[in-house]
Amino acid sequence: MKAADAWRLSAIPYSEMAFRSILQNSSNMWWGSFGRGSSEASGRDDLVKRALRIARFDKLVITAFVIVAASAPFLPQVLGASYGISASVTLSLAVSFALIVLYGVQTLSSFVTSGPSPVLSTLPLVREDVSLVNLFSFVRTSDYLVVGSVVCQVFFVSLVTGSALPGLFMLFAGAVNSVMGVGAALWLSSVFYRSILGSKRGKRGGVLRLALLLAWGVVVLGIGVLFAGAGYMIPLVQGVLASPGVLTGSILSLVYPFSLGISVGSIAQGLAATLVARLALGATVTYLLIAVVVSRWSMSSIASFPEGASGTQGTDRARDTSVPLHEPVTAYALKDLRATSANLTSAFLLALPAFETLVILLIRAFLPTLGASTILVAMTLGGMVSLILPLVLVSTEGTGFDFAKTMPLRMRTIVFSKALIATAVFLPAAAVVYVESLLKPLASPFSVVIPLASILAVAAASTLEVRLFLGFAPRGRAMFALQEFARMAAGAGIVLLPATIYAISYIFTFNHILATGAMVAVASAELLAVAEFVRRS
Amino acid sequence: MLTFQPEVYVPSSAEVSRKVADALIEAHGLTKTYGSFGALNGLDLKVLPGEIYGLLGPNGAGKTTTLRITAGLIEPTAGSVAVSGFDATKDPIHAKAQIGYVAEIPILYESLTPRELLEFEASVRGLTRDHVNRRARQLAEAFEVVAAFDTPIATLSMGTKQKVAIIAALLHQPPVLLLDEPLNSLDARSSRILKELLSLHVQRGGAVLFSTHVMEIAQRLCSRIGIIFRGKIVAEGDLDQLRARAGEKDATLEEVFMKLTNEASEVENTVRTLRESFFDDEGR
Repeated sequence: MKAADAWRLSAIPYSEMAFRSILQNSSNMWWGSFGRGSSEASGRDDLVKRALRIARFDKLVITAFVIVAASAPFLPQVLGASYGISASVTLSLAVSFALIVLYGVQTLSSFVTSGPSPVLSTLPLVREDVSLVNLFSFVRTSDYLVVGSVVCQVFFVSLVTGSALPGLFMLFAGAVNSVMGVGAALWLSSVFYRSILGSKRGKRGGVLRLALLLAWGVVVLGIGVLFAGAGYMIPLVQGVLASPGVLTGSILSLVYPFSLGISVGSIAQGLAATLVARLALGATVTYLLIAVVVSRWSMSSIASFPEGASGTQGTDRARDTSVPLHEPVTAYALKDLRATSANLTSAFLLALPAFETLVILLIRAFLPTLGASTILVAMTLGGMVSLILPLVLVSTEGTGFDFAKTMPLRMRTIVFSKALIATAVFLPAAAVVYVESLLKPLASPFSVVIPLASILAVAAASTLEVRLFLGFAPRGRAMFALQEFARMAAGAGIVLLPATIYAISYIFTFNHILATGAMVAVASAELLAVAEFVRRS
Repeated sequence: MLTFQPEVYVPSSAEVSRKVADALIEAHGLTKTYGSFGALNGLDLKVLPGEIYGLLGPNGAGKTTTLRITAGLIEPTAGSVAVSGFDATKDPIHAKAQIGYVAEIPILYESLTPRELLEFEASVRGLTRDHVNRRARQLAEAFEVVAAFDTPIATLSMGTKQKVAIIAALLHQPPVLLLDEPLNSLDARSSRILKELLSLHVQRGGAVLFSTHVMEIAQRLCSRIGIIFRGKIVAEGDLDQLRARAGEKDATLEEVFMKLTNEASEVENTVRTLRESFFDDEGR
């Protein structure tokens, strides 16, 4: 088969894979809603088209984001900074690597669990042709991202250095970086999904999942830190790299992607013969070899998909059939936790509120005391982040929601169970604040009450959001977008109101007791009102 | 000529009429439209205790839509359906408590294991520990899924998924079973066991609404058959009643079905056209 034919044919398995990925997570996001035929026959064709449109739109948005992220580190030089480009190239490569990994893991679940298209294997195609089509459909998952990031990196390096050679080397570095990113995404997906699908439930699997979750968190937080600190980091790192005889520079020159960044920088400066530059060039050659190995491994993994890439049944066989029992709300919450943790992206979102709060506290770590404003900002932002969870919890129902719909379940059981999880994952955010308060003196003793009020507000907001997400089926795309925004805005309003009341009360009275009292009162009233609304509806 | 010889216990019409209590499933004027397409067009249906009622019809006739409305998965555009006297739309909680539903393609939470799925279901339904453990063991052993109890459902074969769906539907011993082509993915052993279980179920006064397009299954398993065509029941009764309705005294169920759905002549035309085109192709 000609490569052009294989490329054209690969659009079909790619579409199928994109559709399956979206269908797995979106049965209640873009079509239908609780009790209103999410899988009714008339919508099937439209559903497929919409899923593919979402996949394409999603890829375009992420690509735009990757381009901005990969370009941003070059801004100092574009604006006239006089220092070299090694740190900028390194940062750009690191950010694009991380984003390729993040996006890849989200879209590769269907690839890893069942291969792009089992139907291909049944067609009269030789194995090599099937593998080639699979390879191309795999390439389609991140083609825009890779091309977008590499083109903008080459463009900026050529622009800043005013020379073609560094640009050419940047092209090589970008290609190596993309291969490594895609390979890492593939590996991470394989390990994670096989740990879920390929074995019996157990402590070992749980620990592995937790470890992968933390690795995922480090990648996500890493991107955040790189963005937040880029302005300070670039000159600092550039200074370290440019100082001859500094041990840190020598070590960094061996670390990926510093090696590539330093190599591009040294080529731009006419191949500076420093130790750091030599070490970096040597390491770059090593990384090139690793990239070759990674690409071969990736291709062989993809080629094996037609044979069934999923873990299939584990070797551990159950011997008993005992079934533990719980209260309905607990059982539903447990089911949701299990389903959510089976997906790397949604699993990480469970830890996000605590991560967000931690980041805020770290940013203000230089302050001698833990002020009420720091706690208020950290808890409010953590609370805002936790508002993603109701949507995530509703989305992870997937097509299995029909199973729940056949049961004698009241709407409020589902709403309260999901709100319970959304609130529970916010509790570590409060714990982070209390741990911080043990390490650092509080500016006001009453500020310890703020996290409690925030928990009440988050409970109210998530309850309302879940109820709204489950309750109404919007008609048409415009209405969908509008209503989705309105639902999120309602939750955000509930989280922000007690914090705003606190701020206003304090500004007018300078009294912490009154301000925290007002905050708790408003948050409690919100929770009671929302609970009553859910009970009546 | 095929005679109506059920391989499992099927109550006769006389037995059914003796048991007559209120119908366990009763649909009136059930209508479901998707845009301009009418999936159901005023369907009436009554399933009595002790009955296995087979919904027999071609693809797209409205079998699955009828079952999904009865199970509370979708709402009718018009009309109503009651399960054990509870309206499936107005009182879905009580109606769903009476039902065990098996979809044509198993709908399950695939990231869970069978044990976790049953844990979820039994907890939500408020079953007792003794009942659940006894019933789960009996069913899991009968359908040979004990070994897969801790394996994520996503990785199970289609047949095993179907068995898990059947166990979930039978776990709470509901009076009404709604089964949408339940034998499709099952092996011979499991098919036989399911048929025996259905037989026991109706002997205890339960009811089964069973959809299929396989004539032999309908003929052997069901005490009454409703022929559904273009969203309506066009005929119902046992095989003799259907034969009488079709005016074909010794006909098989397939022949009766073709006659009542007016598909016999259309099928003959299609076969003739196909035969001609095949011979033309060979002539070239």
